[in-house]
Amino acid sequence: MSANGELMVRVRGLSVSYQQQNKEIPALRDVSFSVPKGSTCALIGPSGCGKSTLLYVLSGLLRSWSGEVLVDGAPVTSCRRQTALILQDYGLLPWKKVYDNVALGLDIRGESREKKYIKVKRVLNEVGLWEMRQRYPSQLSGGQRQRTGIARALALEPDLLLMDEPFSSLDALTREKLQRQLLEIWQEKRMTVVLVTHSIEEAIFLGQRIILLSGSPGRVLDIVENPRVGEAGYRKTAEFHALTTKLREKLVPERVEISGGAGRWK
Amino acid sequence: MEMNGRKWASALYVTFSVTFLLLGWELLSLAVNNPALPGPLPALTAFFRELAGGLWGHFLVSSYRVVISLVISLVLAVPCGMVMGREEKVDRLVAPLIYIIYPVPKIVFLPVLMVLLGIQDASKITLITLVVFFQILVPIRDAARGINPDLVNSVKSLGARRRDIYLHVVWPAVLPEVLTSLRIASGTAIAVLFFSETISSQEGLGYYLLDAWSRAVYTEMFAGIIAMSLLGFIIYTVLEHLERWACPWKYV
Repeated sequence: MSANGELMVRVRGLSVSYQQQNKEIPALRDVSFSVPKGSTCALIGPSGCGKSTLLYVLSGLLRSWSGEVLVDGAPVTSCRRQTALILQDYGLLPWKKVYDNVALGLDIRGESREKKYIKVKRVLNEVGLWEMRQRYPSQLSGGQRQRTGIARALALEPDLLLMDEPFSSLDALTREKLQRQLLEIWQEKRMTVVLVTHSIEEAIFLGQRIILLSGSPGRVLDIVENPRVGEAGYRKTAEFHALTTKLREKLVPERVEISGGAGRWK
Repeated sequence: MEMNGRKWASALYVTFSVTFLLLGWELLSLAVNNPALPGPLPALTAFFRELAGGLWGHFLVSSYRVVISLVISLVLAVPCGMVMGREEKVDRLVAPLIYIIYPVPKIVFLPVLMVLLGIQDASKITLITLVVFFQILVPIRDAARGINPDLVNSVKSLGARRRDIYLHVVWPAVLPEVLTSLRIASGTAIAVLFFSETISSQEGLGYYLLDAWSRAVYTEMFAGIIAMSLLGFIIYTVLEHLERWACPWKYV
């Protein structure tokens, strides 16, 4: 579809396996997909399908794999500065206050104190946490911690944001609020977002392209285009629900559900 | 208001436990009824009298030896522990050596150290350092190894190099363990100090204590015991406050 130059992420024939007790366990097998620049993409699949592994490959942190992975047209490296990764538990350092956690990436890059202050203040205001800047992560709620993680990533002005199950540990209301907030941030900045989720609803609400992965080892089951992401009230439309049903059927085949249910009554 | 109340309660508890200790001591000395175990009153009287005499000097010498030993151990053990905990290759090389030396009672090297370094401070400080070094090294190494890999990875993803990981993740992660292990090691350090000061020594609390014992002046011997306990107590308290000051995130 899009020309090569407009792709932010291109993965071709990616296979990953890791060593466990001298046995090679495949995590991903022959995975291929691409993500156009400035779009969002959701990776969804059962637990243990290698979703997080895929994210680690894209971030450059995992180096032993085979295949081809291009980020912004260049082979992936861990030192790509415009890639930001937000891990499941947000990766906040317990010994740094919110302000210092958000400033960490800038610290590492050796930015001046004034520049740092301006940037941190801007992103903390964006996620509504400037008032909380003097708190430690342990003094924040789950949602606030997640927003701090997002702010830390945004402070680096990334063009590729990788998120591993960003909202999975939050309550339903906070989750919806943060999903909307993420969309707003994306619509404003138009960076590329790749997020891993196990929630079908989240994948449809946030992913313009949804990549369905099968269980161990992870393989691409299907790729679904979802162009209405970001439209007001999308969650309430019939199309949204139709897509939910469609994805559920693909990810959870009917017969498995029945046999599982029958098993419970025996 | 509430803060004040808590301070009062804490003062009350301290008073209570000190009274309990002194009372127990008094009862024990009455029960034993032997000049070798004087009651708290004669012992404390001797302590304050002796403090004005030579005891203060011995106290300072011993404090100096212990504190210097703790500082040297810390400076050596913390970087070693952090590197061993984080760099698998280094650990594989050094760990067997550590495990062979760790269980050896280092105290037996005192004669060797005295021959090599003389009977002054150097041999004593080296002996204490030898003991304390391992007591700090091993917990630091384990703490550094146990750091959540996601924490390291998320900082790496911000573009951190090895130096940044040590500075922003490993060092603060092991800091509470540094202070805790130091607090525990301070007790051992004083025990080793006592031992080293009792052998061909002319100053220090160990010498003072042994000298009083050989002269059978038991109240003075107990003045030395009180001084030694005080030394341990001061170091312990300082380290505890240091932890509160250095690791504020643990107390929020």
